[in-house]
Amino acid sequence: MATVQVRDLKKSYGAAEVIHGVSMDISHGEFVILVGPSGCGKSTLLRMIAGLEDISGGTVSIGDRVVNALSPKERNIAMVFQNYALYPQMTVAQNLGFSLEISSVPKATIRQKVADAAEILGLTSLLDRKPSQLSGGQRQRVAMGRAIVRDPDVFLFDEPLSNLDAKLRVRMRAEIKALHQRLGTTVVYVTHDQVEAMTMADRIVVLRAGSIEQVGAPLDLYDEPANMFVAGFLGSPSMNFLKGELVPGSAARMQLESGETLALAARPEGVVSDVVLGLRPQDMAIDPERGTPAKVMVVEPTGSDTHVLAMIGDTEIACVLDGRPGIAAGEMVPLSFASDKVHFFDPKTEARLTTTGLSRAGAGPA
Amino acid sequence: MSRISHLQSPRAQALILLAPAIGIYTIFAIWPMIEVVILSFQRWNGLDADRVWAGLENYRYIFADDPVYWIAFKNTVIWTVLSVIFPPLVGLLLALGLNEKMFARGAMRAIYYLPVIIAPIAVATMWRWMYDPFFGLFNQIMTGMGLQGWIQDWLGDRDVALYSMFIAYIWQHVGFSMVLFLAGLQGVDRSLVEAARIDGASRWQVFRYVTLPALQVTMTIVIVLSTISSLKAFDIVYGMTGGGPAQSTQMLAMWAFTQSMQIFDFGRGSAISVTLLLITLAVVVPYLRWSQKREDAAR
Repeated sequence: MATVQVRDLKKSYGAAEVIHGVSMDISHGEFVILVGPSGCGKSTLLRMIAGLEDISGGTVSIGDRVVNALSPKERNIAMVFQNYALYPQMTVAQNLGFSLEISSVPKATIRQKVADAAEILGLTSLLDRKPSQLSGGQRQRVAMGRAIVRDPDVFLFDEPLSNLDAKLRVRMRAEIKALHQRLGTTVVYVTHDQVEAMTMADRIVVLRAGSIEQVGAPLDLYDEPANMFVAGFLGSPSMNFLKGELVPGSAARMQLESGETLALAARPEGVVSDVVLGLRPQDMAIDPERGTPAKVMVVEPTGSDTHVLAMIGDTEIACVLDGRPGIAAGEMVPLSFASDKVHFFDPKTEARLTTTGLSRAGAGPA
Repeated sequence: MSRISHLQSPRAQALILLAPAIGIYTIFAIWPMIEVVILSFQRWNGLDADRVWAGLENYRYIFADDPVYWIAFKNTVIWTVLSVIFPPLVGLLLALGLNEKMFARGAMRAIYYLPVIIAPIAVATMWRWMYDPFFGLFNQIMTGMGLQGWIQDWLGDRDVALYSMFIAYIWQHVGFSMVLFLAGLQGVDRSLVEAARIDGASRWQVFRYVTLPALQVTMTIVIVLSTISSLKAFDIVYGMTGGGPAQSTQMLAMWAFTQSMQIFDFGRGSAISVTLLLITLAVVVPYLRWSQKREDAAR
């Protein structure tokens, strides 16, 4: 068990730099998730920590050792791969014990450790099977077992749940989290799935195009995203962004590009005119009194709530409405939003602007 | 159903596409095989209108009285054992080397494969010149390097000729195994190699526990094809030594040809061919079965 420290880490392939000086500190026992769209460099970053990719610049330290020049095996890490990477010709037991076998650990110790790992993961009855005789979830567990057996300083996971179906993914998510709580080993976990990141991480590192956009606890990032990218990436459906202009004067009103005017209960600090308004779909509601008229385009009932795609002027708005509001495509509905939960962004830098609340309550068409 | 839609069914289309090939193979491959088996029980000089039934006489002759058959048999066995070991082994080593990212990799792959596309008779002629005791490349080089003591009559010495010929054979066949192994290496799961490295495996252990198991199917194909092509080795013998000196490079395929086409005893020639066919089947079929079983067990 150990800390992981990444300092100004760079990766280039020829002239193309894909990781641009990333720094982060991972504490002992922490569960950190690297998340971002494909091509953002999250897997490359993980593979540099693992020692599978050369480091072009900067340092990686595990514990108090700089490990740049060490081979993967000398770093005392374990890695779980997206396709599980189990040795097809070996049984589950042999897969679990392989790393110990080749470092000449006594047979009795290997048997004991394999049995312990199998016990933890519920694999005891499968020890004599070959990987091809296992289901996806079982293979995933064997891959984790192989990591556990080595008792590593750090667990690295590279999109471990991507090959599983939706239901199993939810279950394995809980299993991995429970496993982490039980073992207390430091975890660095890569995924493109923001739900995995939100549900499992102690801290999330959001990456885009080889740079860190924001680091923080899941709910902090959700509530206070640093910029439009993080705001749009976390949360499902994505945050709505409405471009517009603040109407000058003390009361906060905003004129959208499409012409509609919205009343707000908050406004950005300082003197600003052009802004992007960010609204979470979950913060929208139907409100006949104060709602802005919107045309319903698509209605998607999920059972517990209803996803609605609507248009205010020519701006598309995604909403998640409670229950079953009984509306149909083509109807006009009055949409309002919880005005204390709005975000403002600078349209040029895309950075989030600090908000000050206003005394006047309520929001809607002015 | 109308006639048109009958013709459009996948089975009918398959039959239409296969029919010409089935016809040609029946005439030029299957019928000659049956003919050879029949001929092996007859006496015929290739010219007479009549063939005489001889029963097992041809077989009795080649096994008991033919002074060359067992020499050819022994040489064929040596040749096959060597060809199952060396060309695949060298091919595998080349493939492992050329699978790494390196300068001029594509060009080197092409060069190593080049001999495969040269006609075997041309290979035989080239190497016969290079082995020439007086003007050949090898003896010239050795003379130049002051190694006169090593000079040999490469194809004229009874103890050396078979192995000299085998060197030429390796040179021609290594590219074939190499290409198959290169294709097999593409199928090695990269993350499996990485998992093994993280598990602490050395380069040799990665090869032993990841690469080799992944190459098992390729290995079977290479070994079966090497066996078959070595058992039927003919052109290279014909072009380099003609079976000599003193039958020391004689092999079954060559001897079957000599009996039929030069001694004009088609019955004996056919009997030799039939024994060669049976040997091939006896080696290849059990091996295929065994490797199939092993593969199934690995699943």
